[in-house]
Formats: sequence, C-alpha cells, structure tokens
Amino acid sequence: MSAARLRLTPAIFFGRAALAVYLLIMLLWLTFPVVLVLLASFQGTLEVSFPAPVSFDAYKTIPPSYWEAFWFTIRAALLATGIALLVAIPAAWAMVRGKLAGRRIMSNLVLIPDVVPQLILGIALLTVFIPLRLSNSFAGVMLALVALSLSTGLRFTEALLEGLPDEYEQAAQSLGANKFTTFRLVVLPLIAPGVAIAALFIFMQNLITFELLFFISGPSATPIAIRLFSDIIDRGIVPYAVAMAGILVYVAIAFYTLVAVSLGPKYMAGSVMSRKG
Amino acid sequence: MTDITNTPSSGLSAPDAQDQGRHVSRRRLRREKTFYRLLTLPALTIVGLVAIVPLLLLFVGSLRDQRSGLFTLDNYVNTLGNGFFMRTLATTIAMAGGVTAISILMALPLAYLLARRTLLRNIVMPIITVPRMLPFVVIGYAMILLLAPMTGVANKVLMGLGILQQPAFILFDWPGQAIAFAYNGIVVATAVLTGVLMSVDTQLEDAAVSMGASKPRAFFAVTVPLATPGIIAASALIFTSVVTAYAIPVMLNGRVPYMVSLLISANLLTLQQQNLAYAQAIIVSVLALGVTTIGQVVLSRYGQRGGDK
Repeated sequence: MSAARLRLTPAIFFGRAALAVYLLIMLLWLTFPVVLVLLASFQGTLEVSFPAPVSFDAYKTIPPSYWEAFWFTIRAALLATGIALLVAIPAAWAMVRGKLAGRRIMSNLVLIPDVVPQLILGIALLTVFIPLRLSNSFAGVMLALVALSLSTGLRFTEALLEGLPDEYEQAAQSLGANKFTTFRLVVLPLIAPGVAIAALFIFMQNLITFELLFFISGPSATPIAIRLFSDIIDRGIVPYAVAMAGILVYVAIAFYTLVAVSLGPKYMAGSVMSRKG
Repeated sequence: MTDITNTPSSGLSAPDAQDQGRHVSRRRLRREKTFYRLLTLPALTIVGLVAIVPLLLLFVGSLRDQRSGLFTLDNYVNTLGNGFFMRTLATTIAMAGGVTAISILMALPLAYLLARRTLLRNIVMPIITVPRMLPFVVIGYAMILLLAPMTGVANKVLMGLGILQQPAFILFDWPGQAIAFAYNGIVVATAVLTGVLMSVDTQLEDAAVSMGASKPRAFFAVTVPLATPGIIAASALIFTSVVTAYAIPVMLNGRVPYMVSLLISANLLTLQQQNLAYAQAIIVSVLALGVTTIGQVVLSRYGQRGGDK
C-alpha cells in the first residue's frame, strides 16, 4: 500500500504542482509591498524599473519635516511605552496576586482602548481634547498612546504573572520581606525578560498607530504615518516619501530580527498583535 | 479568605487572645487589599480619563441635538433613515465580509503548510511579520507603486507582454481598496491561523489517515473543525479592521465613497455635523464590537483560545 502511495501518479503530480504554484503566488503576494517600496526608494523615481541604477537621492532629499515627524513618533512611542508599563506591571501584579473582588471587570475595563475600534476612540478623544487644548499636541498624542499601550501591557504582564508560581514570593515573605521588597527583588527580575519583549511589541504598535491618532494630531503634532498619509493626499506619491516608507520597513525588519533572535521565529506565529485597520 | 475573618465568634467561651488575633489578621488583610487596590488605581485612572470618559461623552453627544443641545434620537433616526449612509454601510459590510472570506480561504492552506513545516515557517515568518509592523499607509504606497494606471509595475508588465492594450484603472476604485484590504487580511489570517494550526495535534490527523481518509479529507474533516475557533477569531479581527479602516479608503478613494469611515470623518471635519458623526461612530462601533463579541462567545464556548499573543 505504501508503495502505491509513493508512486507519482498524475493526480499526485498535479496536486504537488498546484501546491507549488499556490505557494509561489502567495510568497510573491506577501513580499511585494516591501520589495517594491525598497526598490523604489533606491531609484529616486516613481517608476519602478528593473534593472536600474542604484541611487540614494530619495533618501538624501527627505525633508526635515519628515525627520521631525519620525523622531516625534519615536519619542511619543517610547514615552508612552515606558509610562504604560510602569503603570501596568503593578496593576497586573495586584490583579493576579491580590485576589481582588471584581478583578475580571477591572481587567476588562483596562482592555477597552484595545477593543474599541481605534477610529472611534480617536473621535471620542478629539471631542475631549479640543476643550482641554490637548489636540494637536505631543501630550495628547502621547496620552492616547498610553491608553492603548496600557491595554496591551496589562494583557502581556497579566499572562506573565499568571505563569509565575507564587511560591517564590511566599518564600521571600516568610523570610521577612515586605510586599514592596518582594516585588522589587523577586517578581521584577523574574518577569523582566518577558517585560522587555512586551515593551518591544508595544513600542512597535505605538509607532504604527494611525486611526487612533489621525483626528487628534495636527500640524504641530504629526506622527510619521499621518505625515506620509497627508502628503499622499496633498501632492500624490513623491520619492522622498517612498524613502521614508523604506526607513519604516528597516525599522520593522530590525524589530523582527530582535524578536526572532531573542525568542525564535516560532513566537511570531499566532500572534494577534497587529495593526488595526 | 473571607470565611476566616468573617466567621462569627464561636461563643462565650472564646478567649480574648484569640479574638484579638482575629482582629489583627483582619486588619492586616484589609491593609493588604487596600495596598493592592492602590496599585491598580493609576491604570484605572488613565483608562477612565483617556478612554471611558471620552467614549461616554461621545455617546452622550450622539444623543444631543447639535443646535439646541437637547436630548433627542434624531441623529440616529436621521442616520438610519439616510439612504446614502445605509448604502455605504452596506457596501462597507459587503467589502469587509468579502475581504474576510477571501483572506481566510487564501491563508488557510498556507497557514497549514507553515504549521507543519518548520523550515518553511522559519523562512516565511519574517515575510508575514514585517508587513504587520508597518503602518497601513506604507502598504498603500506599495499598492500605488504596483497598480497605478501609468507608472504601476503591474500595468507596465502586463502592457509590455501585450496582455493589456491600455492600462487598467482599478486602483482608485473599490477593487484597489479590496486588494489592499485583502493583502492585510491575508497577512493577519496567515499569522493567526498558523498559530492555531500548530496547536492542533497532528496525531489526530494521522489517525484519520490511518483509518483510510485521504489527506485532504483528513484536513477538512479533522483539522479545520479543530481550528474553527481560531478561524472565527481571525475573521472577527479582519472584519472589524476593514470596517473601521480610514487610511486606505481615503488614499485609494474613487468618486463614490465605499467605506463608512469616510462619511463619518466628512461629517466630523468638513461638514461640521459633529453630533451626527458621533451617532454614526456609535453605530459603526456597535457593529464592530458586535462581531468581536460574537467571535469571543464562540471562542469561549469552544473553550480553546486561538493561539497566544
């Protein structure tokens, strides 16, 4: 029977061929945006042709406003990630270890910014931020990102702490450590690697957030994704914008490399961590 | 916990010391609870101020008349009675549903291969992860580079090969948007489904094959049903992301808006009908959250979580 199965009948052959074609098409389809953006960014023109001379003109002509937007986004994303984790880790610890009444409700409340569509939360924030003069400001953008990061951070750290047996903490406390010392000397070092990965994910998520920030950003507070977006609306696709898109591709590749090196590529499978919309 | 501290004191014979001890432990326990409550306070405050209050205000705003400020259901009545809005909502749902179905169908075989072949997975994982870590705008740029009528690679290649006589103008219309959404959907579906299929025990499939089922039959009769919760989770994710997408519908917009998010932002920003826009935003979020909730309910009923983060 196994011999019969191994023989290459026409049906199996066509099946294999169809599978190979499917795989090839899917790989081409999945890689084309990154490949096209990178190719175009090295040509300095808008028409991608191949082969073409390599030129760095597009990168050299990236205007200062783009770099400003880029660093603005990095600053806001970093700060938001830091604040969110500072707040989320103690909260997650209290929720997991404190056996508080209404824990489910609290943890679901914190998840709201992640569950509500970002477009809607952005509109809601706009209505509140305008009277507070927070729209079109660094603080406003950062606050919005903090709320979003907090949801993700809490989910990450709750999972980390739930996977951590509480015997270590009990041991520390039976030896006389108080809650704070236990947290600082036992819990924090144990979850630190996981928190570092979480921080990386949250930072990346903040970097690419668009819908949430679209309405509350403005001329003096423009994340890079929104700068790229409004330029394509105003003047169509321009070479230096493609170059900036290329830089974002490098950032994404660097992120993947970091995560893959520290965790192995398997970790990325099944991740629902993704841009929304 | 509470039953230790709250048991009524057992009677007259209880010595004072025991009573006192109970008091001390009760106080310590209460202090501990307060300590934990305090730790959750900053997180709850931030979410309350930056998400819950704004969303409640949005809801209240949707119930008020813009001029008089009186409470009314007019915004909802006008929206739901507006043929243009409802048609756009219908095309949005049709777009989201179609994109979701195509994404799942296209991604499922690939995800299956990735889940079973480690080498292939290690090669393909970066290919699916990098696009997910890019702003959707960048994908939009790539779409324009590929499909733009005159300069796009696809048009140039097809015309060079003589397949097309004149450039195809599909980009700035619903097909262009559908292609961009489907790209994103396939990427997300592949990532999520790979994780789900990796958690399906291969031995079950082997058992089916050993009992005479062909490989495709085993796949459809054993593996797919086991992966259903993950498929539902991925579908809900893709559906809601299309319904509430904003960047792609504007970038690749045609003359007629196909996506409801365009109407909302027009009402909000250009037409200055904020309260109407709030009502429309609420309608869209009810739609999105409804789909997500249905997905969650199905997931919890199956009792299996579709892959971790």
